[in-house]
Amino acid sequence: MTTTATAPPVGPRSTRSSSALKARRHSRRILWFTAPSLAWFVFFSVGPLLAMFVIATLQWKGLIYKPTFVGFENVARVFADPTFFAAIRNSLVQVGVAVPVMIPLAFMLGFHLYTRPRGHGILSILFFSPGLISISVTGMVFYGMLSPNGGLNGLLNLIGLDDMVRPWLADPATALGTLIAIDLWRGVGWTGVLFSARLSSIPGEVLEAAQIDGAGRMRTMWRIAFPMVKDYTNTLTTLQFLWTMFTSAALILLLTRGGPGTSTTTLSYLVYAKAFSQQDLGYSQVVGVVLLVVGIAGMALISVLFREREERS
Amino acid sequence: MSSSRRRRGTGPRRQPSPVASVFSWFYAILLAAPIYYLLMSSLKTNIEIFIHPFSLPTKWLWENFKLAWTTAKLGPALLNSVLICAVAIVVTLFLAVPASYAIARNDNRLSRAISKAFAAGFLIPPFAALIPTVLLAIQMNLFMTREFQMLYLPASALPLSVLLLTQFMRTVPNELVESAALDGAGHWHTLTQVFMPIARPGIVSVTILQLLTFWNEYLFSLTITGTAPDVRTIQVAVPTLVNDSTIYGILAAGTVLSLLPVYIAYSVMSKRMQEALVAGAVKG
Repeated sequence: MTTTATAPPVGPRSTRSSSALKARRHSRRILWFTAPSLAWFVFFSVGPLLAMFVIATLQWKGLIYKPTFVGFENVARVFADPTFFAAIRNSLVQVGVAVPVMIPLAFMLGFHLYTRPRGHGILSILFFSPGLISISVTGMVFYGMLSPNGGLNGLLNLIGLDDMVRPWLADPATALGTLIAIDLWRGVGWTGVLFSARLSSIPGEVLEAAQIDGAGRMRTMWRIAFPMVKDYTNTLTTLQFLWTMFTSAALILLLTRGGPGTSTTTLSYLVYAKAFSQQDLGYSQVVGVVLLVVGIAGMALISVLFREREERS
Repeated sequence: MSSSRRRRGTGPRRQPSPVASVFSWFYAILLAAPIYYLLMSSLKTNIEIFIHPFSLPTKWLWENFKLAWTTAKLGPALLNSVLICAVAIVVTLFLAVPASYAIARNDNRLSRAISKAFAAGFLIPPFAALIPTVLLAIQMNLFMTREFQMLYLPASALPLSVLLLTQFMRTVPNELVESAALDGAGHWHTLTQVFMPIARPGIVSVTILQLLTFWNEYLFSLTITGTAPDVRTIQVAVPTLVNDSTIYGILAAGTVLSLLPVYIAYSVMSKRMQEALVAGAVKG
């Protein structure tokens, strides 16, 4: 897996002398130093992840009750529930719109920042700041902004677009779209800053040479700069996909609680709501397993898409 | 784009596109508008927020901040957040620094397997296991306490922390390691005297990045630590200002107060913070 970390320059590794070899044999034992963190990680992260599969087979009406084993009964219940299919649809719409819109916009924005336009200092600070803001603050900012008497409707009145005024989060026609817009609001600039940092780390001469050769701006951007950061794009796409898919529950909990109706119930919110509002842990964890499977399938699909394009170009 | 025809060779080194400039400023305004609206709202009454959403307040209602502070009991909430973050970051570093040292000093199958395990762990968003984690907290008798978060947050931070620190630990030149070994230095000595000073920028980055992640954590704090005023964090406290008759000014003031520590930190060390966040890439 490629981490998205910007690697510090790796110092030259000296040729291995015999004393180094001895030191290495000696150093194998220090792998015990990883034991506490591995144990910690297994206990708090891997364990609960595996427990999910067990809970999915239990009938468990709330945290204070004793569970009983019911096998695949929960699975049958989930797959007979229209809410579940609404959640699948909403999740697919959410990632299907948010990610393909976000990544190209973010790349273009990153390329633009990389060319150091006037005021790029202020621009990067602004684009960067959603990275500092928590999900609960984002929720509260937009709770005010999107309320029926809030900022957005106020603005629409101000510029004479009165007939567009609506309760954005309470209208089934706009609720999901509004949440996707918030994802984009948060994600485009922040991902753009990441792209620009990545572009700055590739040798500038290549792009300059391209421009001297008379390659147009669009051409330089998509045909020369983009292929150079393709692996990074793959990583960012994967991570944005996973984060959009998995973490939408928090914002939905703060803003719409899955409604109106089921119009903003995503898979991740359904996991939360079934466990804590409707006290049905078995159901919740079946959806959790589905979410995990969709997440892994999506990751595989993204990497296949990127590889195919590589072969074609 | 029409502007693609340009004089060759001359001109600035990199030529920003005017069309892109227009779009990026438009997006910048889109980003800034809700923040501006938040700041203005925090000093207004509901009626003024509704009638003049974007104008300056006619009378600056500083009481909103006082009311937010007392209504949502933000004082204890801030202390809880600081306490959880402080303990969690110490635990994180105590676990991650030795682990990354060991991985960096080995290049065999086992060490590669360990770092692969952490890389895989980094991909799985913690949310996936939210409900079993709640059950774990109950089992450990730490449900509705701050202590569970102090132990749990480091676990969620470990994959990225170990991966980042390992990269920095690998920059230590072999000559230094060998001469330390010739001096008969033990692992503890080599780690604290040779590796940690050189990997310091990495440790600083990880500290900043994870402190911000811990500070901003919401869903686990809400479901595990809970909303009781004596244990809840600042992120959980502010949304409690929402109710059937929300006073938007007070809510906005509370939101601004919860943002202040982060923005003060950012204004003091914006460059370091930006580096750390870019290094950790897309989290949250």
